[in-house]
This record gives sequence, structure tokens and C-alpha cells, in this order.
Amino acid sequence: MIGLLFNGVWSQYAFAKAGKYQHLYRLLYIHDLTEASLQGLKAIAVPFQSNQAAIRERKGLIYNFLKQGGKVFVAGDSTADWLDAQWEDRPVNNYWWVKDPTNPPVSQTDYSHPVYEGLSVRHACWHTHGVYTRIPEHARIVQTNGRGEVISWETNHYGGTLFVTTLDPIVEHGIQQITHLDHYVDKLTEWLCGVKPEGQFEMQAADYGVAWEND
Amino acid sequence: MIKAAVIDNGIVGLRESYLDQPHVQYDFLPTHQATAPDFSPYDLLVVPNGTDQVAMYHWREAVQRFLNQGKTLFCFDGWFTHWLPGSQWVADNSKKTIDIRYTLKADRYGLFEGVDLNHFIFSNGISGWWACGYIQPAPRAEVVVADTWGRCIMLLDEQTTPGTIFATASGPLGDYAYGTTDDAGSMEGLTRLYHNLLTKLIKTPVS
Repeated sequence: MIGLLFNGVWSQYAFAKAGKYQHLYRLLYIHDLTEASLQGLKAIAVPFQSNQAAIRERKGLIYNFLKQGGKVFVAGDSTADWLDAQWEDRPVNNYWWVKDPTNPPVSQTDYSHPVYEGLSVRHACWHTHGVYTRIPEHARIVQTNGRGEVISWETNHYGGTLFVTTLDPIVEHGIQQITHLDHYVDKLTEWLCGVKPEGQFEMQAADYGVAWEND
Repeated sequence: MIKAAVIDNGIVGLRESYLDQPHVQYDFLPTHQATAPDFSPYDLLVVPNGTDQVAMYHWREAVQRFLNQGKTLFCFDGWFTHWLPGSQWVADNSKKTIDIRYTLKADRYGLFEGVDLNHFIFSNGISGWWACGYIQPAPRAEVVVADTWGRCIMLLDEQTTPGTIFATASGPLGDYAYGTTDDAGSMEGLTRLYHNLLTKLIKTPVS
């Protein structure tokens, strides 16, 4: 099971409720996160559109999870308050595939990384949310853009594996406007928890208009 | 001067989307507080794209009290929890974005004056970029914009509560739409529509 840090954002919710992922991801509302929330999990996923200030206040939980050998996946933006790296914003180009299809926002990918192994160039990048202008000395670069700026990186320095990217697979898959994201997200999910998701990304109308279960 | 409160769950780009101007001044209300904020000093409550809908559910009674005072709620997000009076947003992936088109159904206040609806359909030539899913409108709510299949994408509801509710099916409106579009026409469209809402829908501005 993967814990999905949850900022109350609908796309994060839609992703975790989708038929093919709901048994593999557990929503962890960020303001209720405790040590007990993380018990028994194989991995933590921090999606794009997270509450960076709230994560900073609970960063000890994340680094303790890593220390115990867990995997942590961070997507989109972050702050140096809890991650030893510097994220910087950049304009989002989500139309390159129409205007300039031979020039995607990622130009170099290490396809030996388990998440990327077997993915096509098109499936390894759709758009990015900023870059890393500084990463830890102990980190390995997984993806860069045409300017050589870091898009994805990884380190085992903290015990488990910390994998960070400015891609936004979970939020974007929840939005369901990009049709090929099953390829990336399924690889990511299998890497995080050891189980390959099966089936279709189904949205059920009954999941909308709900009371919040922890209320 | 309109006094507006914006729900703020700390996502990137949010504060740049609502900028103080001579006719509107914003306070950002963080979602980490356990008890509902006091909305009573405000004329307008903005629930922006990417909002914490868990917090909104916890604060639903405060929202109802705010609307009971005859004030105005803008919701530009997908509210998967049940807190907005009367109407409900639903996510849906059964339609292809390439087929999405919008139609103006009603506009008693001239909200679309100077606004080209095509800018909400296409961004950089790609359709279906703006909204997601659809709204199940309250029985007496007005459908402002519908999609290809006749589903509500924008609604105006002045009947369900003593206040005014304007909601989109998760289509962002404001001074900026972080990461959503950089198409000049789309940016102009969503900004102009937002300021039309401010000038034409707010009935009780505090001077």
C-alpha cells in the first residue's frame, strides 16, 4: 500500500478513488498525518499541489519513514524547507506535442531507472512544473531538460529511496486529460509497492458529493 | 471596495492568481485551522482551483451562514465533497477532450461582455483544457454555460440561498491561472470574465 499525502485537491482524490488504483493508494490528509498513519506502508507519494508548509511541519515523519527503508516519491514543486534541493518555477509548456512535437520538455532520461525502463520518450514526459537548480551531492540525475536543468533525481542517502521529479503524474492522471499516463503511473506504482495496477481508470459518480469520512 | 476571502491550501501559484486592485482586496485564509474562519467581514468568498475540499466540507456550515447574509460565493474548483448548497460537481472521464465545446445558455448580467467563449474551449489550439467533469445544478439554479452534451459547466444560483453562488466545473478564473494556460486569448478571457463577475455580481460591496 502507498500513502498518498492529500491536500484536499480533487485530482488527488479522483486518482486515489479510481478503480485500478484505489486498492494500492491510501489518502493521508496532510493535516491529520501522524506516525501511525504511515504504519505498514511501503511508500509515500507526495503529489503536485501539496501543501509545502504543512509538509515542512511534518518532515520528521517523512525522513523517519525513509530511515526505515521506505520509498518516497515527490512530484511537482517542493521547498528547501523540507527537501535538500532548490526547486524553481518555469513556464508550463503543455502544448509542445502540437506546436513542436520533436522538442519535448525533457531531453535526457535514464531509462535504466525502474520507473522509466521500457517507457517510450512520449510516455516518460508530458510536461514539467519547474526545475531543480540544486540537488544534493549524493543524488543521481534521472531526467534533464534541454538546458541541462534537473527534472528528476534520486538518492538513497536517507536509508530508503527518495525519488523526486517536477513531472506531475498523480494529479494529471486524476484530471484525466492526458490519455497515456497509465504507462508512467503504472510503472511508478509497481516500483513503489511491487504491484502492477490492472484495469481501467474508472470514475464513479457515487464518489462525488460525499461527506468526508474522517469528519 | 470588495472585501474578498480566498481559501488558501498553500498550492503553488495561488496567491499570484488574486491580486489586490482598487476595487477588490483579498485576504488568504489557510486551511490548516481546525475551526472555520470567520467569513462575516467579507463580501465575497473565493474557492479557487485546487482548493482543499476536505476543509470546505468541515466549514460547510460557515459557508451556509455567509450565504444566508446575502453574500457571494465563487467556486472555481471541483467540489467532490458535499458542502456547496444545492449543486454538486462530478468528475467524469467518459468524454474525449477533443469533442468538448461550450455554449452560452443564459447571461442576464452580461458576464460575457467582451469575453470570447472560444478562449475557454481552445488553448494553443487544444480543446477541453479549461473545465473538468460537470455540475449537477440545483433545481432553480441557472445554467450559464453548457458543454457539448448539455451538461452544466458554469452556473449562477441566486435562489437556493439568500446569497449568490457562481460556480464552474473546476474551470479556473482569476488574474492568473498557474500552469493551466499561457495562451494570450485564454488568459485574457478568464481574467476578463473574472472581473466581470466582480463588477456585475457582487451586490453588497463595503465602501
